[in-house]
Amino acid sequence: MALALVEWAFGLAWSRGGLRLLRRPRFWAFILTVVALGPFLIGEPDVVMGPLHLSREGFTAGVEMAGQAFVLTLAFSLGIASLSLSDVVALFDRLGLRGLGFATALAMNLLGTLREMATVTLQTLWLRGGMRRPWTALRLFLVTTVANTLRYGDEVVSAAAVRAFDPNEGQPVPLPLRQGDLWLLILLAGCTGVLLAIGGL
Amino acid sequence: MSSYTVRSWVTIGLFGALWGVVELTLGSILHVIFPSQANTFLTGVLMGGIGVAVALTGRHFVPNRGSVLLISIVTTLIKLLSPGGIKIGPVVAILVEGALMEAALCIARTPRRWAFVVGGALAVGWNLPHKFIMMRLVFGTRIVEVYTKMLQDGSQMLGLDVSAAILILAIMLLVRLVVGGLGGWCAWELGGAVARRLGRGGPATPPSPPLLGGA
Repeated sequence: MALALVEWAFGLAWSRGGLRLLRRPRFWAFILTVVALGPFLIGEPDVVMGPLHLSREGFTAGVEMAGQAFVLTLAFSLGIASLSLSDVVALFDRLGLRGLGFATALAMNLLGTLREMATVTLQTLWLRGGMRRPWTALRLFLVTTVANTLRYGDEVVSAAAVRAFDPNEGQPVPLPLRQGDLWLLILLAGCTGVLLAIGGL
Repeated sequence: MSSYTVRSWVTIGLFGALWGVVELTLGSILHVIFPSQANTFLTGVLMGGIGVAVALTGRHFVPNRGSVLLISIVTTLIKLLSPGGIKIGPVVAILVEGALMEAALCIARTPRRWAFVVGGALAVGWNLPHKFIMMRLVFGTRIVEVYTKMLQDGSQMLGLDVSAAILILAIMLLVRLVVGGLGGWCAWELGGAVARRLGRGGPATPPSPPLLGGA
């Protein structure tokens, strides 16, 4: 509970986008299913509510499981929401993985184009009566989509070559570690220790 | 990483994007239709099979070691950075699938059809333990009790012996292995067909010569 409150406060302060998860009915359905299942499936039934035989132990266990899932999922959502494409590319650049950052940025920018390309291929096949032979149509669709994707890649390679881009060139910029980073590391290590101690009790 | 040219990185980005498009469109639709607690079969098998086929087709055009893992990393980042529901499960699944395919291809050393098939089978086969491992991580140890009780009640309701559950699990694993193997096979065939159409070499061909220092 305390951890959930800390996460919520963190979200309000630094990562409001991550809290959007709490507005999704699917998320609550995911969490509450476990609370609902617990009294029926864990422990011996000791409470009778009409036709239902429920277990208090199961209810407690269900709430615990739901709490754990809630905290983990929210923490993941908060972490990811505060991440941006430029951060990822900069991180890869600093780690000396310039090419991977380039590939990620390229992929993110081409998502719409590739979707459009696949849709056009499918519609063309459809309009020319290709769906009368589904297996041939599927094969044609896949070959055309992959071939078009690779042709598009050729254009990107040419554009990169014109700009003299080389992912293997240049030295990675070292990460500057300041005193504040050191304090943060000590704080995180302390929190990990406390959590491990609580888990061990 | 120095063996990777600009063309290699572009191709990795493109195939990562293709897998990402499938995950973001078909994957999202299937996750809405079949919620994670209710579904143990269709979504993982279908998404895994298609993902394997896309990533291994990419390997056809980037014959460098580690390229399939890199394609899966790009897809994972697309999944993470795109708007929409953030789900830990698919992200972990994509990364592990990529690592398993890469492991199979590393063992084979040079790209071969059997390596594609084994890699695909291993990757999609992972879907079965993945479900249980993720549930255990997210919900804790007591989820095992929930599954055991559900299994007992389910077998009682259907009039089956509990040991039949093992048979059902074995069949589910077999289906995944077959689908994955089929995905790998299709990737080999598709890669070859596209390479022939574009007049490019097969998977054993070394990377294209550098253009302007690295492209």
